[in-house]
Amino acid sequence: MIIVNYCVSIMLICLGLYAVTMKKDLIKVVIGLGIIDYGVNLFIVSVGFNDGGTAPIYTIAELLNGAASTYFVDPVPQALTLTSIVIGACVDAMALALVVMIYRKYHSINADDVRRIRG
Amino acid sequence: MYDILMILFHVLVFPGLLFVCVIGLLLAGIDRKVLARMQKRVGPPIVQPWYDFLKLMGKETIVPSNANRAVFLGAPVVGLSSLIVMMLFIPIFGYSAFSGSADLIVILYLLTIPAVCLIVGGSSSGSPYAGIGISREMVTMMAYEFPLIIALLSVAKVVGGETLVFSMRSIANWQLSNGCLIAHWALIPAALAFLLIIPAEVGTQPFDVAEAETEICEGPLVEYSGAPLGVFKLNTAIKMFIMTGLFTTLFLGGIDTGMVWLNAIIYVAISIVLTVLTMTIPHAICARLKIEKLFKFYWTIVAGLALLSLILVWFGL
Amino acid sequence: MFDYHHFPVIAVMILFLGAFLVEIFGAKNKAVRNTIAIVVAGISTVCIYALIKPVFFDGEVISYWMGNWAPVSGYAIGIGYEVDALNLFFALLTVTTFFLSGIYSIRYMEKDEHLGHYYTLFLMLSGGVLGLVLTGDVFNMFVMIEIMTFAAVALTAFRNRSFGALEGAFKYLALGSIGSSMTLAGIAVLYMSCHTLNMAQLSSILGSQPLNPTTVFAFALMFAGLAVKAFIVPFHTPAADAYMVAPTSVSMMFSGMVNKAGVYGMIRLCYTIFHAMDQSSLQILLVAFGCVTMFVGVTMALAQHDFKRLLAFHSISQIGYVITAIGLSTAVGLSAGLFHAMNHTLFKGLLFLTAGAVLKATGTTNLDKLGGLSKKMPLTTICFLVGAFSISGLPPFNGFASKWMVYQAAYAKAVTTGNFFYAVVTIVAVVVSVMTLASFIKVTQACFFGQCPDSLKDTKEVPFSMRLPMWILSVACLASGVFYNFVYEKVLYPAMVATLNTVKYIDSMMGAGYSAAAGVQNHLVDAPRLSVWDPISWLLLFVICLVAICLVVVLGDKTRGRLSDAEGEPQDGKYATFFGGEHALHSHVGGSDLFWGFKKDFKGYFNVVQGAHDGNVNTYASWVVIATAVIAIFMVIFVK
Repeated sequence: MIIVNYCVSIMLICLGLYAVTMKKDLIKVVIGLGIIDYGVNLFIVSVGFNDGGTAPIYTIAELLNGAASTYFVDPVPQALTLTSIVIGACVDAMALALVVMIYRKYHSINADDVRRIRG
Repeated sequence: MYDILMILFHVLVFPGLLFVCVIGLLLAGIDRKVLARMQKRVGPPIVQPWYDFLKLMGKETIVPSNANRAVFLGAPVVGLSSLIVMMLFIPIFGYSAFSGSADLIVILYLLTIPAVCLIVGGSSSGSPYAGIGISREMVTMMAYEFPLIIALLSVAKVVGGETLVFSMRSIANWQLSNGCLIAHWALIPAALAFLLIIPAEVGTQPFDVAEAETEICEGPLVEYSGAPLGVFKLNTAIKMFIMTGLFTTLFLGGIDTGMVWLNAIIYVAISIVLTVLTMTIPHAICARLKIEKLFKFYWTIVAGLALLSLILVWFGL
Repeated sequence: MFDYHHFPVIAVMILFLGAFLVEIFGAKNKAVRNTIAIVVAGISTVCIYALIKPVFFDGEVISYWMGNWAPVSGYAIGIGYEVDALNLFFALLTVTTFFLSGIYSIRYMEKDEHLGHYYTLFLMLSGGVLGLVLTGDVFNMFVMIEIMTFAAVALTAFRNRSFGALEGAFKYLALGSIGSSMTLAGIAVLYMSCHTLNMAQLSSILGSQPLNPTTVFAFALMFAGLAVKAFIVPFHTPAADAYMVAPTSVSMMFSGMVNKAGVYGMIRLCYTIFHAMDQSSLQILLVAFGCVTMFVGVTMALAQHDFKRLLAFHSISQIGYVITAIGLSTAVGLSAGLFHAMNHTLFKGLLFLTAGAVLKATGTTNLDKLGGLSKKMPLTTICFLVGAFSISGLPPFNGFASKWMVYQAAYAKAVTTGNFFYAVVTIVAVVVSVMTLASFIKVTQACFFGQCPDSLKDTKEVPFSMRLPMWILSVACLASGVFYNFVYEKVLYPAMVATLNTVKYIDSMMGAGYSAAAGVQNHLVDAPRLSVWDPISWLLLFVICLVAICLVVVLGDKTRGRLSDAEGEPQDGKYATFFGGEHALHSHVGGSDLFWGFKKDFKGYFNVVQGAHDGNVNTYASWVVIATAVIAIFMVIFVK
């Protein structure tokens, strides 16, 4: 239960939400989306922390000695975080590709100009 | 065999096709005669709508080149059939040809079908006058559906009490044992709202902006001629009967003399009185309302009356 | 013959395998690509339809642990797929939608480029949604949501030369990504309290004790995240843009499967995992959201000039009906919501397909530029009229049956709880239904009837493979309206009972007796006996009347009342449209000219609501954030 991790992850999420809702430049919006993802990833990894535990990997020595009672941190959130990192990378890639093509078509990446569909 | 014959009798003669057409045209005739007398003229004979209908049946039907033929010719007939089917489900003082739980909501939706047939028929004729007419007809429908549903919900709440009752048969039965619904003072605003909705639903002045003869040459009906036009005029006449009949069933239902034909005569007499009250007198007195004024009228005053009734009924008064 | 326990997984995996194969072989050979796509979609459809007998008729719940990782000492350690009647209900909708859309896309998309990528994305979208509705693991659901979002965004931007496609895709990605992040955060908080990701085990843990603030916070986050996927107001803004700019076969899939997946997620969340639907505060929250969605959706639709954007707003509005009905949390309400979801897939899919046919034939969906298409495209007009009457709720189509059930459920709830709010809900629902009718009359007049402009003189009817899905859906709309009792008994009742029967859900996954040990009980199921409206007898009477009237008209005097219509060119003005005696070049009352009085009366309202849809991604994102905050505060205070 690391308080600092949780506080920082909530700050990152809020910072990312600020960037998405307040910044006009579309690249800054994409960066905001990324920051939200990193905040959530930090949160997930911190959820699995057990105080005093080691990395959740069995070595051969431990297996041969039958040490089934080694105290691990929870491996499931680490798996979730890996998946989430990959998803975050895909979102950023696709969003940036869209921004590049929007620039070619609209000649601007200001959110006030990229709003031909409205009403 | 007997059952099939009885079903055909109910559908085609009483209370189906023949009964409804005859009485509907009678109401239309009485409406015209009384209006004429109020305007200090002699007016046409009461049987004039029958003569008009028979004359139109014999005229040539011209299908304009811009029109979609199937929809143009089919719309009036579909409207007439749905009106007759609806009449089969409305009990005449406790006698209804087909039971089967026809709720108020089903009747409400069946009532929209003739209006939709008029709209789609007018739209399919391809005329710009029809386009404007159907737009106004649709806005009129939006205007009167709102207070109509509120009035029907208040009636259902009074009859149902703690359980849910929507069926017409139970409303009729409840009034036989507890007295007619208009005697409940909390329902009087709802009854007034329903009376004000009747002319809009039928399409008589002052709410007939959709068919304004002086302005848009009868709106959706401008390209119609011959038999389809006759059927549309018949639909309007039948709607007069159905709407006044619905008011009688919902709010004045406590009468039962035990003989079907006497009940029917009393029913028709009440319909005549209601027609004169709600359709002829406003027609003679008031001018035609513009569409935005009509909408505002229904969504403020009439809906306010119905809502007042619903609130009074809901909180147990 | 085959072991049907493997069918759910086969159905999902073969779609991903097909996507992979299309990507490899697709660029080279068109026939191979189309064959692979249709065959794969067909196999998946058959697998899911084969599950109807065991799950709906025999009442079995299929549970499948991936890799055979069964639970160890009462803890779920593998990813599980569980198919009970609710899952199968939504899977059937999904499968039908993408199969018909696949048939439609063959001719619809034939002039586009990079079709290999189109079919890959199409199969991935289908696989994502199907995986979402069949899975029993909450993180697997999140992964499937992400696959679905990516494929959807890429498909939205597919025709990147057309107006607004890139912009719509970007907004969809930004807002969808915020929603997914909130869902993931909610899952993480949930894992923190319950230490499991399996939905059955979560259900048993959360059902045996009251909710503490941590789990309520997780509930709020996941609720908001899934609401973004279901496109409820105020999370609906990407839907309006994306449905408009995507290729129409994809729009049909969006409105038919993607938002149903969001609705399914919300049902699972509220009913099964959190057992929270017995609390009146949550019921009021869902019903309030549903009402606002219904009303805002339909009023925005009345003001639109583009055919597909109008259909998009109607989609949003009808999902409002579904959410309202589900939020009522009675047996009738839940089955009404499910029925309306099914009908919405059918009639909205039909309407989008007709819009696509119009777009392909004429090249535009602008209601101000269309007109008089019923003479050029008569079959499409019939299908459109069936869809329009279904969505407006006219008898005897399916929209009427499901909307009638919604009104009954809402008013029954009003009477049993004595809460005036639910009577208002009934009134709003009826008014919205009339406005839906108005909106479709507008489209009928503006697009199909009236005068044909000169630019559209050469339009032709669309090819057969595009008309076939439209016919299938029209017949389905009519059939499920007329035989709605059959649909209710065989399909809806099992699905509704399965939703409320969490004991069976948990026991099938984790082993018998697990839920009893945890102290979880079923929700109440009051006996759902509907008052019977018999559409068949109504139709019989209708036909009798119709025949009688036609006989009277036809057997009349042949010499006097005759029927004339123009052959070829109008000769002497007798068959021309009456226009006050003057010659007019073009006198069509089009899309923007209709409902003038209504728009004038509501000018203030339209200025506010239309002005709020200003197209700026920051504005839309701020709505999402504010709405999430409101949901979170409400739930933490009122949901126990």
